[in-house]
Amino acid sequence: MADLTLEHVDAGRTAVDRPAAETRFRRAVTSQQARRRLRRLARYAVMLVCAVVMIGPFAWMVLASLKTDADVRSVPPTLFPDPVTGGNYTRVLDAFDFWRFTFNSIGIAIASTVLQLVTATMAAYAFARIEFRGRNLMFGLYLATMMIPLQVVIVPLFIEMRNLGLVDSYAGLLLPTIVSSFGTFLLRQAFMALPRELDEAAFIDGANHFQVFGKVLLPLVGPALATFAVFAFMATWNSFLWPLVITQASDQHVTLPVGLSRLNGRFSTDWNVVMAGSVMSVVPIVAFYLFTQRWVIRSVAFTGLKG
Amino acid sequence: MVGVSGWRKLGVIAVFLGPSLVALLAFSIGPMVGTVWVSFQEWNLIRDARFVGVDNYRELWGDDDFRRALKNTLYYLVGYLPLVTAGGLGLALLVNHKMRGIAFFRAVYFLPVVTSWVVVALLWKWLLNPSDGLVNWLLGLVGIEGPGWWTSRAWAMPSVILASAWKDLGFVMIILLAGLQSIDETLYEAARIDGANAWCQLRSITLPMLTPSLFFVMVISLINGFQVFDQVWVMTDGGPAGSSSVVVEQIVKNTFSYGRAGYASAQSVALFLIILIVTAVQLRFQKRWVFYG
Amino acid sequence: MKHRSRSLFAATAALALFLTACGGDDDASDDASDNSSGDSSDGSAPSTGTASGSNVADTVSDEAVTLDYFTFSAAPDHLEDLDAIVAAFEAEHPNISIEVQTAAYADYFTSLQTQVAGGTAPDTFELNYENFVTYARSGALLDLGPYLGADGIDTARYYPLAIEGFTDGGVQYGLPATFSDVVLIYNKTLFDAAGMDYPTSDWTWDDETAAAEALTDADAGVYGSFQPVSFFEFYKALAQAGGTFFDSDGKAVFNSAEGIAAAEWLTTKPGTVMPSMAEIGGTPDFDTNLFQSGKLAMWHNGIWQFSGLNESGVDYDVVVEPGDVAKANAVFMNGAVASSDTDHPAEAAAWIAFLTGSPTTVETRLASSWELPAVNDSAAFDSYLAITPPENREAVFEALDNIALPPVIERQTEMQDIVGQALERIVLDGADPQEVLDQAAADVDALSG
Repeated sequence: MADLTLEHVDAGRTAVDRPAAETRFRRAVTSQQARRRLRRLARYAVMLVCAVVMIGPFAWMVLASLKTDADVRSVPPTLFPDPVTGGNYTRVLDAFDFWRFTFNSIGIAIASTVLQLVTATMAAYAFARIEFRGRNLMFGLYLATMMIPLQVVIVPLFIEMRNLGLVDSYAGLLLPTIVSSFGTFLLRQAFMALPRELDEAAFIDGANHFQVFGKVLLPLVGPALATFAVFAFMATWNSFLWPLVITQASDQHVTLPVGLSRLNGRFSTDWNVVMAGSVMSVVPIVAFYLFTQRWVIRSVAFTGLKG
Repeated sequence: MVGVSGWRKLGVIAVFLGPSLVALLAFSIGPMVGTVWVSFQEWNLIRDARFVGVDNYRELWGDDDFRRALKNTLYYLVGYLPLVTAGGLGLALLVNHKMRGIAFFRAVYFLPVVTSWVVVALLWKWLLNPSDGLVNWLLGLVGIEGPGWWTSRAWAMPSVILASAWKDLGFVMIILLAGLQSIDETLYEAARIDGANAWCQLRSITLPMLTPSLFFVMVISLINGFQVFDQVWVMTDGGPAGSSSVVVEQIVKNTFSYGRAGYASAQSVALFLIILIVTAVQLRFQKRWVFYG
Repeated sequence: MKHRSRSLFAATAALALFLTACGGDDDASDDASDNSSGDSSDGSAPSTGTASGSNVADTVSDEAVTLDYFTFSAAPDHLEDLDAIVAAFEAEHPNISIEVQTAAYADYFTSLQTQVAGGTAPDTFELNYENFVTYARSGALLDLGPYLGADGIDTARYYPLAIEGFTDGGVQYGLPATFSDVVLIYNKTLFDAAGMDYPTSDWTWDDETAAAEALTDADAGVYGSFQPVSFFEFYKALAQAGGTFFDSDGKAVFNSAEGIAAAEWLTTKPGTVMPSMAEIGGTPDFDTNLFQSGKLAMWHNGIWQFSGLNESGVDYDVVVEPGDVAKANAVFMNGAVASSDTDHPAEAAAWIAFLTGSPTTVETRLASSWELPAVNDSAAFDSYLAITPPENREAVFEALDNIALPPVIERQTEMQDIVGQALERIVLDGADPQEVLDQAAADVDALSG
């Protein structure tokens, strides 16, 4: 704000002792700068307002996770914890084999994300850049797999896994997640948005599909890849129903969300403890998101696209 | 006859599509076929399944609960899709700038997406509590008597729509952001040289270049929107008195609570066909408005 | 019949993966032998070769055996107590080890049903009384008959009503593990402040209404009486009003005059002596929070609330619920059962007998304020009764004198939802109770018919 007024003063003074034409030019420039600053400020203001609205649940969750039992049950509900306690976090750590479940979750999420990236980018390239008969039909088939609710497919899938001998195993946990139609579609759109001239030029230079895919187009869909990586990680990390049924036979392969669900009692629930568990399970995804964002900003700078 | 180049092309396609196709066949399409088979059975998951022919489908035809659930699902879509698309686009444009702290804002807008529905539902129930919630208190300040939100038939679904759109804004935002980031900067430079203002640039460069991402968002939101479940389950459980009951909620209830896996499978098949048709229409009409480079 | 449906598809190789287990049997490879035994496993008790005609002691072999036990009542607060029971059992049976699996109640049945459907049912698991019949009639449970008797499981160890609750068609399919009943919990401070007498076991609905109205101070956010509008409250209120849910032929008759009285008793409370549905607004544990904050005078709720109340420090006591023309009290029972597919039926029976009736279990459950063991051994409860508050802990056992068990059919959850939604319509829309209950009764008849 202070900057802004100073410039106005400055603009006013120069107007007095400079030739008229130059003054008009300078004034136009400075007022344009001022406008840009104003716009920037307005943008920050809007972003801040949105941030307050969007951060609400998370802040509320963190606050509730720091409350005592009596505090979280008070009527009417209060916003701030009084007194602040970290005991709920220790309760989560003690409630079950937290580190093992977290280790399982991280392992599965990373393995699944990597595999999904590989399967989805390759399929997406085929759908975007290779002409073949029945391509649309095949793409429709991929999309169709998103159209049946998991809740009803889960029983046949479980029976299949039983027959493959994969109940209560990492493979059983991982395999159904390794391909994502969502990701295939997302990356297909990203490939299709790239100009055709790129690959045509490469083909003329004698490149084959694998080279065009790996060397020409893949580096250009960085933002989409990063976005999909976040979704793939998040989906696997948060997935609940499949891990619930496939890992039930022992605690060996149980993932964090399944473990956290056991904090819910039948007749009443200690919400402060549940909130502490939720906070702990959100942190890795946010960290992963920030990590990919940095990567996107860097890679975008590298490819010369806007960031 | 397939020529040598034809075989080679087939090989290339096989390499690119093979991994995903095998996994899809094994872990998605296979179980889906299993679901179709179950839809011809009477099965409570415990007892042996019994073949009943098309009885489940016949029952489905006259099921008022299913019809109501379908109507509510459409209601949800009509409210949710425009809100989340327009809102997500707004957010994406807002944060698509090189500014100090932009990564922080992007992460903040993404927070609701990663927060579990259980927590989000608790918060929104508290915010929208008809008697002492924040929203009705704010409405009261400007002299409006707030509605009953979750607890009233008319407002249960709008409450779900509001909370869902709010939660998914960040999801749409980061997809569209990836689209925005892929737009060639030289296009804007050229436009600026031609003297195009910001509004002009948005209309003639940003939006057309973004149509592949927008199209993606709409198709995905529609497919997911038809399967709206989690939020309804934890917020209203389909109530009050079935006024926010949706299709997948019926399916889950029938499968795991009512011991009617066969009937639920028939409902799933019906839902599948509906989504398939709508998506096919979307794909067909994309040529009219989606611009590929 | 499973084999007919299976053979229909056996030819379709691509489907084989998904279908082989739909019949629910354990091993796809012994189809042939299954076929010869036909449908005998449906409904009637499967006769287990190892077990017939002998007792537990004889049939529990020395080979090393691992049994799964799947439970919803241990997590999150009693995992260590369950471990203690398991350890005691394993010490007594060195060749048997128990692998405990837990899930929250809300997810338990999703997981259990999927496992049963996939033919990987846990050897032993927990079922509540309402869901027991569905599993028993679907042939999923082991007939415990061969293991009962003087040398085996002593049925006299359990409350007669409880052990009977886990039979179906005269066959003992499960053993009662725990029970909890519902009492009237009241805030002594609020009664004292109003100078009113505490509720007694002689109270009727009218007494409660009068007290609740006097104690309600909506402006101060203080309410007289909180009773959930639900199926479980309804069937009990119906019994208190002198009505029955089903007649002797199994026809739904809860739309009687007594049914109307019960529905009105429940549905007139919200918005008068208890907060309205809008005020509750779907907040989880609303009533618990209200009572613990000292803003609720009377609360119809279960004895599982005691430990939370004791932690909160609110000054409360309990009494058996007021009746109308009769006294009737609700009880929630959990039982332990064994899967009909288990490879080790004798060991499974020995484990669930220990889990439900052993002195170790009784002591562990009582010492940790877990649910109450369903054993017929009043001396065992002395330590439990000595804990105060509540002063009048005897009400927990006094309530057992007039038990109204919930009506149970195979399509239980659907029935509960029909009744629950009918009551909801009365509260929400002011619908005519007679009309709504007539419709609900017809719907329930359609389920059981």
